[in-house]
Amino acid sequence: RIMPVRWSRYNPSYLEPEVKKESYQRPLEELSEEEREQMELKTVRPIKAALPTLSSSVFSDPMISKFTNMMMKSGNKVLARNLMSQTLENIKRKQLEKYHKAPENEKDTIECNPYVIFHQALKNCQPIIGLSSITRGGKTYQVPVPLTDNRKRFLAMKWLITECRENKHRRTMMPEKLSQELLQAFNNEGPVIKRKHVLHKMAEANRAYAHFRWW
Amino acid sequence: AVGRVLRLCRRWGAGPRAQTLRLICTTTAVHRKNAGASGPEKYTEAFIKKQIEEFNLGKRHLANMMGEDPETFTQEDIDRAIAYLFPSGLFDEQARPMMKHPNEVFPEQRKIQWGEDGRPFHFLFYTGKQSYYSLMHETYEKWLNVQKHQDQLIAQDLPVQKEKRNLAGSRWLTKIELEEILLEKVSDDDYSRFIKLLQKLVALPCADIEDKYIQKFSREVPVQLQKVVIEPLQYDERGVAFSTGEGKRKTARATAVVYDNGTGKITVNGIDILHYFPVLQDREQLLFPFQFLGRIGKHDTVCTVSGGGRSAQAGAIRLATAKALRSFVTEKEVEFMRQAGLLTVDPRVKERKKPGQEGPRRKFTWKKR
Repeated sequence: RIMPVRWSRYNPSYLEPEVKKESYQRPLEELSEEEREQMELKTVRPIKAALPTLSSSVFSDPMISKFTNMMMKSGNKVLARNLMSQTLENIKRKQLEKYHKAPENEKDTIECNPYVIFHQALKNCQPIIGLSSITRGGKTYQVPVPLTDNRKRFLAMKWLITECRENKHRRTMMPEKLSQELLQAFNNEGPVIKRKHVLHKMAEANRAYAHFRWW
Repeated sequence: AVGRVLRLCRRWGAGPRAQTLRLICTTTAVHRKNAGASGPEKYTEAFIKKQIEEFNLGKRHLANMMGEDPETFTQEDIDRAIAYLFPSGLFDEQARPMMKHPNEVFPEQRKIQWGEDGRPFHFLFYTGKQSYYSLMHETYEKWLNVQKHQDQLIAQDLPVQKEKRNLAGSRWLTKIELEEILLEKVSDDDYSRFIKLLQKLVALPCADIEDKYIQKFSREVPVQLQKVVIEPLQYDERGVAFSTGEGKRKTARATAVVYDNGTGKITVNGIDILHYFPVLQDREQLLFPFQFLGRIGKHDTVCTVSGGGRSAQAGAIRLATAKALRSFVTEKEVEFMRQAGLLTVDPRVKERKKPGQEGPRRKFTWKKR
C-alpha cells in the first residue's frame, strides 16, 4: 500500500466544505461578484469531506470545537466535550440565577445565551499586539509585532486554559473554574484580561524597538 | 523478404549514431515513461523516416508471404503473422519477437537537434531548454501584440472590451501535459512562471485576439456533479420507497437503507443508536445529513456497520445515509450536500511509522552523547 508522507491526503485542488445551511438558501441576487465566482468555482472543483466535529446543527460551533480540542489531553475527546458542555451549562445556570434576582429594569442587560458569552469573552481576551524576540548583535530584544487573527484567537484560548489549569484550588472542578473565568472575561475583569493588559503595556514600553521588525 | 523481417527483429545496438541495427523488438514503447525523462537525443529525423519506410516495405512483404492483400494489412494481422512465423515459448510477452510501427517503438523523443556539421538548428539550443524558452518568447510576443492593439484602440478613442471569460469551466495544462507537448523536462518553477505569464495574458482586456493561442493551453473541466449517477428509488412489498447507500471511513464499512414515511428511528446492527453510540458527537454525525436537508422525522434508517472504531463507524454511516438520501432529493440539493462535504469519502488514514523514528512524526529522544 502506497501512502503519501508529509503532506495532506487531499489533492491541492480540493476546497473546504461549507456546512451552514443558511449560506445555501440565499437567492442569487444577494451575492456579490466575488461570491458568485466562488460559487461557480465550487461547482467545478472537488470538495473535502466534512470533519466529524462539524455539523449543520445549531449546537455545533467551530470556535467551541477548537476550544474543546485545545482542552483535550491525550486524545480524550469524550472527556473534553463533556467538560465543555458542563461549562456552558454552568454559565447558563449562573446567568439565570442573576436574571431571576435582578430588578425589572436590569433584566434586559443580562445575557443568558452561553454561546454569546463565550464569543464575547474570547473577543475581550484577544490581545491586539504581541511581542516577538529578535536577536540583533548578540542581544535579544522583545519587539512589538502585529498579530494575525488566528494567532490572537489561539493566544486568548491558551491563556484561558492555562489560567484554569494552574490557578485553581485542588478541589474545584474544571467546568466550575472555566465558567467563572469566562463570566469575568465577559465583564472585562479577571486574571486573563489582566494578562492581556500586561502584554499591551510591555509592547508600549518596548515601542522604541519597533523598527527592528522587517516584515 | 525474410531477411528484412529478421533484420527488423534483431536486438538494440548501442551508441547514438549506429543507424543500421535499430530495433523493433524492444520494450521502450510499452514502458512509456515521462516524455522528457529519456536521455540525450539518440536518432535523427532522417533515421526515423527511413525506419518508417522499411517498416512499410516489410509490412507489404509480410502480407505477400501470408498470401493476403498488402493494402488492407492491419497491425493485428501483422501481430498474428509474426506469432505464426516465429513461435516463441517465452513467458514475457514483451520479450517475444514483434513488429510495430517505429513511432510506437522509438519513444517520442526529440530528434537530434544538430546537423551533420554539429551546428544546432534552433537558436536557443545552448540554453538547454530550447522549447520552453521559445514558448515563453512566443507567449510574450502575443502579450506585446495585445498591448499594441489596445494602444491603437485607445489612440482611436474606441471603447476597450472588457468581457470576463468564464474561468470556472476551464483549467490550464498540467505540468506533465506541458512536458509531453514540449518533449523536454520542465521544472516546477518554470511551469509556474509559464502559467503566470498565461494568466497575465488572459487578464488583459483585449485578450480575445489571441484566443486561439490561449485555447491550446487550456482544457475543459466538466461540472463535478455530472460524474456521479444517482440511482432511482426502489419500492419494497409494502409500497414504501427506500434506497441504499454504502460508506467507508478509515477501516469501517457501512451500508444504510433509508425508508420513506418513517418516524426518524435509526437502527445500527439491530441496536438503537442511543445504545450503540453513547457519545453525543457520533449521534450528531448520524443526524447531520437529515438535519442539513430538513428531513429529520421523515425517514427510517436501518444500517449495518463493521470494522473501525466508534468515530470511524459514525463517519461511515454518515456517508452511507448521505448517499442513500441522494435518491430522495432534487439535483440542486445533491449539489448542496456535495458542497457541504457530506458526499466525499474521507481519505485520511493512520500514517505509517517510519524507520529511525518512534512514530509517524515523533523522533527518538535526542541525546547529546
